[in-house]
Amino acid sequence: MRVLLAEDDAETAAFVAQGLRALDHEVVAVGQGADALEQGMSGAFDVLVLDRMLPELDGLTVVKQLRAVGCKTPVLLLTALGRIENRVDGLDAGADDYLVKPFAFSELAARIHALGRRQAPASTVTRLQVGEIDMDLLARQVRRGGQLIMLQPREFRLLEELMRHEGQFVTRAMLIERVWNFHFDPQTKIVETHMSRLRAKLNEGEQPDLIETVRGAGYRIRPQ
Amino acid sequence: MKRPPISAARRIVIIGLGSYALATLLLGTGIFLAMHAAFSRQIDARIAQTSMTLQSEFSEDGVRGVVKALRQRKMSGPDALGFALFDGAGHRAAGDLVVALPAPGWQTIQFADPDEGADPARALVSDLGGGYRLVVAEDLTPLEEIDQTILAMFGLAFVALMGLGWAGLNLLARFLRQRLRSISQTADAIIAGDLACRADLGMHDDEFDRVAASLNAMLDRIAELIANLRQVTGDLAHDLRTPLSRLRHQLEALGAIEDAAQRRKRVEAAIANADEVLALFDAILRISEVEEGGLRPGFAAIDVSALIVDLGETLAPLVEESRRLLKVACEPELRVMGNRELLAQAVINLIENARRHTPEGAAIELRAGRRDDTVVICVADNGPGIPACDRERVQQRFVRLEASRSTPGHGLGLALVRAIARAHDASLALSDARPGLIAEIHLPSSCGVSQPSINSISRSPA
Repeated sequence: MRVLLAEDDAETAAFVAQGLRALDHEVVAVGQGADALEQGMSGAFDVLVLDRMLPELDGLTVVKQLRAVGCKTPVLLLTALGRIENRVDGLDAGADDYLVKPFAFSELAARIHALGRRQAPASTVTRLQVGEIDMDLLARQVRRGGQLIMLQPREFRLLEELMRHEGQFVTRAMLIERVWNFHFDPQTKIVETHMSRLRAKLNEGEQPDLIETVRGAGYRIRPQ
Repeated sequence: MKRPPISAARRIVIIGLGSYALATLLLGTGIFLAMHAAFSRQIDARIAQTSMTLQSEFSEDGVRGVVKALRQRKMSGPDALGFALFDGAGHRAAGDLVVALPAPGWQTIQFADPDEGADPARALVSDLGGGYRLVVAEDLTPLEEIDQTILAMFGLAFVALMGLGWAGLNLLARFLRQRLRSISQTADAIIAGDLACRADLGMHDDEFDRVAASLNAMLDRIAELIANLRQVTGDLAHDLRTPLSRLRHQLEALGAIEDAAQRRKRVEAAIANADEVLALFDAILRISEVEEGGLRPGFAAIDVSALIVDLGETLAPLVEESRRLLKVACEPELRVMGNRELLAQAVINLIENARRHTPEGAAIELRAGRRDDTVVICVADNGPGIPACDRERVQQRFVRLEASRSTPGHGLGLALVRAIARAHDASLALSDARPGLIAEIHLPSSCGVSQPSINSISRSPA
C-alpha cells in the first residue's frame, strides 16, 4: 500500500515509517501541512496518515480542504489530544479514523490496513464467507460446515468484524469501537471474554480454531 | 509630563470639599443678596413715606409748611433722612441737605456730609409744581456697613466650615485607607506565600466587613482547592513512581539479557508498565475533562433501557467468569439527556468495582427504573460494603480503603463515576444494602416525546 505520513516529530515519523516499510508498505513522509495537502491531492496514496498538529496548516484543515476538493482517500488522524470533543471534531472534518498518541505500532498498522482495504459499503454485502464459515447478515445466522451456530448479538458482531477483515489483524480497541461503539478503554476484559465465548461456540466438537490471537496485535480470522 | 497619581482618599477629600465650598458660597450669596434687597426696600419705603408727608404739607402751606414740618422733625431727635427743597430758580428754599439739584425720580446721589465729606445716598426727587422740587435722601453708609458685616460673618463661617470639612473628610479618607489597607495587606501576605492569612473583620458588619468576609470565604475556597490539587498531585506522583521505577528496572535488566525469548518477555513487561502509566494519565485526564463540564452541548436523548440491557449482556459473561452473578432488571422506555458513552463507562466502573470488592459467589444487581422525576441507575452487591464514614471520601480521586489495598487499581473508578454523574446534573449516592453496597445514579429524566435513540447510530468506520 502507498501511505502518506504527515508528522512533524522526526523521531515518531522515522519510527512509524520504518515500521510500515517493514510491513511492505510504500511510505512518503512529509513534515508540513502544506506538503501533506499537495501530496494528498495527487491521489497517489491508498491511505493518508496525518498528525493533527502540523506546522502552519494543521491536520484538521488539511482533511477539510482535501474533502472540499473531492479527495476520497481514507484519512487516519493522529493526535495527542484525546478529549471527546477532539475526536468528534476530527471525524466531523472528514477523517475516517482517529488514533490518540501514544499508540502501539501494531494498532496503527492494523488501522491503516483496515482503511486501505476498504470493501464495498457494509449495507450492500448480505453474505460473508471465510473457509467453511458462512455468515448470513440478513437472517443473522452463522454456519460452520453447514452446521448452524447460535451466537449472542455481540458474538455475532465480533465474528462479522473479523470476517469483514479476513486475514487482517483487528485490534482490541478497534473491536471495542466497532462492536460496542465505545471510544474509551473500559479497563475490563470485555473483548477477551466475548471472544473466548465466540471461539468456544465456533470450535465446538474439537474443530480447528479459526481465530488467531497475537498478543499486542489483536485478532484475525485465518485466511483460507 | 506624567502627573503623580492621586489617591482615592485624596480625591474624595478634594471632591467633597469642593462641592461643600460651592454649596456654602451659593447659600451665602443668596442670603447676602436677599438681606441687601430687604434693607434697600426698607430705606425706599421710609423715603417714599416721608416724601409723601412733605408733599401734602407743601400743597397745604407751600414752602412754609415744609419748613415747619422739617423743624418739627429736627426737634424730635436725630433723623436718618436729609431734605432739600429747591424753588423754580434752583435755589434752596428749605432743608439742610448739601446737594446739587438732581433730576426727578429715584436715584443715588452724592451729598456733602458735614462730618465725613462726600457720601452716596439714596434719594427720591419729586416735582411739587410751581418749579419746586423736593429731595428726600437717606445716607447709604449704614447699609454698606450692614453689607460688610454680613460678608465678614460669612467669610468667617466659610473658613470655619472649610476647616471642619477638611478635617472630617481627612478623617474619612484615613478610615477608608485603614480599612482598605487591612484588605490589601492580606492580599500582599498571600502573594508573599502566607496562604493562611485572612483579612481582619470589624464588628459593625458594614460594607468593608462584608468585603473582607467575602474575601476570606474566597481564600478558604482557594485554599481548599489547592489542598485538593496538592493531594491529587502527590497521589499521582506516588502512583506513577511504582510503575515508572519498575519500568526503569526492567529496561536496566534488558541490557544484560542474551536470550531472545527472555528479552521479549522483559520488553512486553516493560510495555505493560508503560501502558499502566498511560492508563493512569488517561483516567486522570478523563476525570478532568468530565469535571470541566464542557460536554453538555454534545448531550443527546439516550435510551437508558436499551443501554442497560446492552451493558448487562456485555458484562454478564465477565462477571460470571470471575464466579459472581450479574442480574439485570430494567424498566422499559427510560430516557435521559446525556452522553451514552460516559453513562456506559459509569455503569462499567460501578460493576467492575462490585466485582473487585466482593468475594466469589457474590450477586451483583444492575437495575434501572423511574423514581419521581428521576431515572435511577443502580448497582447493588451483597459483598462487604463500605462503612458509612468512608462513603463520601471514597468518591474522591486516589482514595482507596485499607480493605482494598491488595486489589489492583488507583482509586479513580468512583471519582470518574461521580464526575460523570455531576456532568449529567445527577448525583452518585452510596448506601448500605445490608449486606453490601448500593451505588445509585439519579438522572433527571427527559420524559418528553420519545426521540430516536442515539444508541443505534454508529459513527465508527468499516
